[in-house]
Amino acid sequence: MIESFKKFLLVALATLMLVFGSSKVAFSKTVEIVMAAPDWPPTRFMQEYFNSSFPQSGDTEIKLTLDFIPWSNFYTNVAASLTSGEQRYSMVVSDSQWLGAFIEGGYFAKLNKYIDADPELQAIFDDMHQGYKEGYTTYPYKSENYYGFPQFPDNYINFYRTDIFCNPDENIAFREKYGYKLPCTYADWETIVWDNVFDINAFLTRKKGEMLAGKPLEDDMFGITYQAGKDYDFSSMQINGFFWQQGGDIWDESNQPNAQAEGVVNSPQNVKAFQQYLDILGTMHPSHKTGGMGIFEMQALYLEGKIAAMINWVGLGAPVVDPNVSKVVDITGYARQPGTMQDDGTISRWANLGGQPFVLTTWMTDDEIDAAFKIIKWWLSYDTQIAAVKAGGQSCMKSIIYSDGYNALAPWNAAYVASMDWQKDVWHVPEFFELLTQQQEEFDKAITGQIGSKEALDAIAAFQQEILEEAGRIE
Amino acid sequence: MNSNNGFIGWLLDPKRRGPLLIAPAIFVLLLVNIIPLMWSFGLSFFKFRANKLKAPDFSWFYNYEKVLQKEKIWEALQTTAIIVAGSVGIQMILGFLLALLFAKKFPLRRILLMLILTPMMLSYVAVAIFFKLFYEPEFGLLSQFVQQFTGEMYVLLATPAGALIGVIIADAWQWTPFVMLLVLAGLVSVPKHLYEAAEIDRVSWWRTFTTITFPYVRSLLLLAVLFRTIETFKIFDVVFILTNGGPGTATETIAVLVYRTAFQYFRTSNSAAMGYILLFIVIVLTSLYLYVIKQRDSEEI
Repeated sequence: MIESFKKFLLVALATLMLVFGSSKVAFSKTVEIVMAAPDWPPTRFMQEYFNSSFPQSGDTEIKLTLDFIPWSNFYTNVAASLTSGEQRYSMVVSDSQWLGAFIEGGYFAKLNKYIDADPELQAIFDDMHQGYKEGYTTYPYKSENYYGFPQFPDNYINFYRTDIFCNPDENIAFREKYGYKLPCTYADWETIVWDNVFDINAFLTRKKGEMLAGKPLEDDMFGITYQAGKDYDFSSMQINGFFWQQGGDIWDESNQPNAQAEGVVNSPQNVKAFQQYLDILGTMHPSHKTGGMGIFEMQALYLEGKIAAMINWVGLGAPVVDPNVSKVVDITGYARQPGTMQDDGTISRWANLGGQPFVLTTWMTDDEIDAAFKIIKWWLSYDTQIAAVKAGGQSCMKSIIYSDGYNALAPWNAAYVASMDWQKDVWHVPEFFELLTQQQEEFDKAITGQIGSKEALDAIAAFQQEILEEAGRIE
Repeated sequence: MNSNNGFIGWLLDPKRRGPLLIAPAIFVLLLVNIIPLMWSFGLSFFKFRANKLKAPDFSWFYNYEKVLQKEKIWEALQTTAIIVAGSVGIQMILGFLLALLFAKKFPLRRILLMLILTPMMLSYVAVAIFFKLFYEPEFGLLSQFVQQFTGEMYVLLATPAGALIGVIIADAWQWTPFVMLLVLAGLVSVPKHLYEAAEIDRVSWWRTFTTITFPYVRSLLLLAVLFRTIETFKIFDVVFILTNGGPGTATETIAVLVYRTAFQYFRTSNSAAMGYILLFIVIVLTSLYLYVIKQRDSEEI
């Protein structure tokens, strides 16, 4: 008995040595890619999926370590790391508007020569949705200098409560009061414009204890909510869409040095659009009055069932369907965000492009560059992209988003894909953060009622004109 | 040990032991403090951005001139002055009153004293987050309390005045115990026989306070004002976390503006100039207080 047990032990030990020993000796070296990444579901998924599914090949083991940084400090932390010269990151998940600042600073590597030399990378580039490719990879914006690949493409959609919007009694009451249908299905929402949001929000704003959709409310309830935060870009992203939908614009960086800020940023169309944004905001949850209605605060309110709908990034969709954190898992519908009716009867739905590319830094070794491109190819491969989409992520590869069955992979996919052709990006120039911060401050003053829409936009236009003239970007 | 032992012997000579022992500290001080200080001072006379590859360009007083012409810096200085006046004022009054209370003996005094001292042991970040939650309109205690009477959520940080008050309360809450501690040290040093004599002479409470108590704590109070003014002038963490300088720029203090200019706008030399203007103001304030203290001391003599 003892002898046979000894034999068993020996065989077990030999097997273990064979398995673990051989896996150790299979790699002659290890290359670690440390990537700065915002801390949210799409990047968390990337780390988890890499750990479980990245196909190691050859004699080099590739490790990917994402350094998760909270969104509100993401730019500052990455900027501090890059400019300090510590060379901590080999790759960075970068917001598209950072490209200019970090390319001109000498931190982000130009990728043209690698793409030109690699048919696989060329195929990836050809497969990318044009608007997203321009936003995520080019500097100067819309040029043929390429710097990134899409890590997580994103745009706004509307997350709404079906138990409220599709409730028959609420629908009858709404129709009686306003003469049209309370939007319930995706098709219903396609007809909704921002002017309708006044009615919807007036109708759905109710006090604790009042009845809504046949139940007494445990908390005050508010209607549709969108971003109005002072942090980072948490109001500019929404407001830019209002500008574009009303026929206005932001300073056009692709038309330097002729494009002006004065007269464009504070144009009558922009003033009207911003005023509409502010007026609608007045019908929303009062948290925006603190300048604190950022994407996560809004998401928290929605998950707790305190607002009936939110206009938010697709990237924040995964928690909505997670029963561990969401009270609205089975009662959420997805649609495009409302738009603005045009004279010809069509609805303009321009919005600010979301999402992020990932880029390579200029101090990477050849081994690290090889590893980085393996990671990029793996991430943008069909199977990985599909897995990411199923897990709440998104893709901007045409072969994937226009494939049969794509819309069935996640409940918000139809709204996401339908919105893709309506995306424009904000500036990519190195001065962007100064422009953004001042703009956020002026927007916040208007949001909190200290100044009016025209005063805010005049101040923004004057500031942008001065900064951009100083930088030689406006003549 | 003598010169025959060569360099080691020379180095370990008793008269060099002192300098040798403090040399590492001096070296570290030079490396992490003095050199960066001189470097940033030098940088304030150049045109330089840390996020651009351009070499620094000498520009004399351009940055100082530009900074002082900016309306924003004067607004930030004004905001900082309001916060300093409000917060330090509250700290002085409450700190003094608390010290008067705790100078007497009563049940649970030690436990209460410990609780009162807790805020100043907390980190700035913890205090800022605590107050952010406290003021939160949806579930914050303040809003919940007001809602009991008005039925509406209360958003303290929505207005410039409310946000300033919010910051002042948070800072005063954290640092009042510090003032109390200093004053308490003065109060317990007052000789008891003076109070006994005043009691025998049936001197009023107010007169006892002005002629016995206050003179003993006056210099400590001035010291507290000095410390707290200098510290509050540099207030950053609480403002940055609690209001992020908002609404708009209503609570943007000079330290927050310097931070933004340096690490968000990357106007490196510009922010260096701002930093030295801030340092200059603090030095002037410090000298002013020291002068006042010196004057009073000489009057007493």
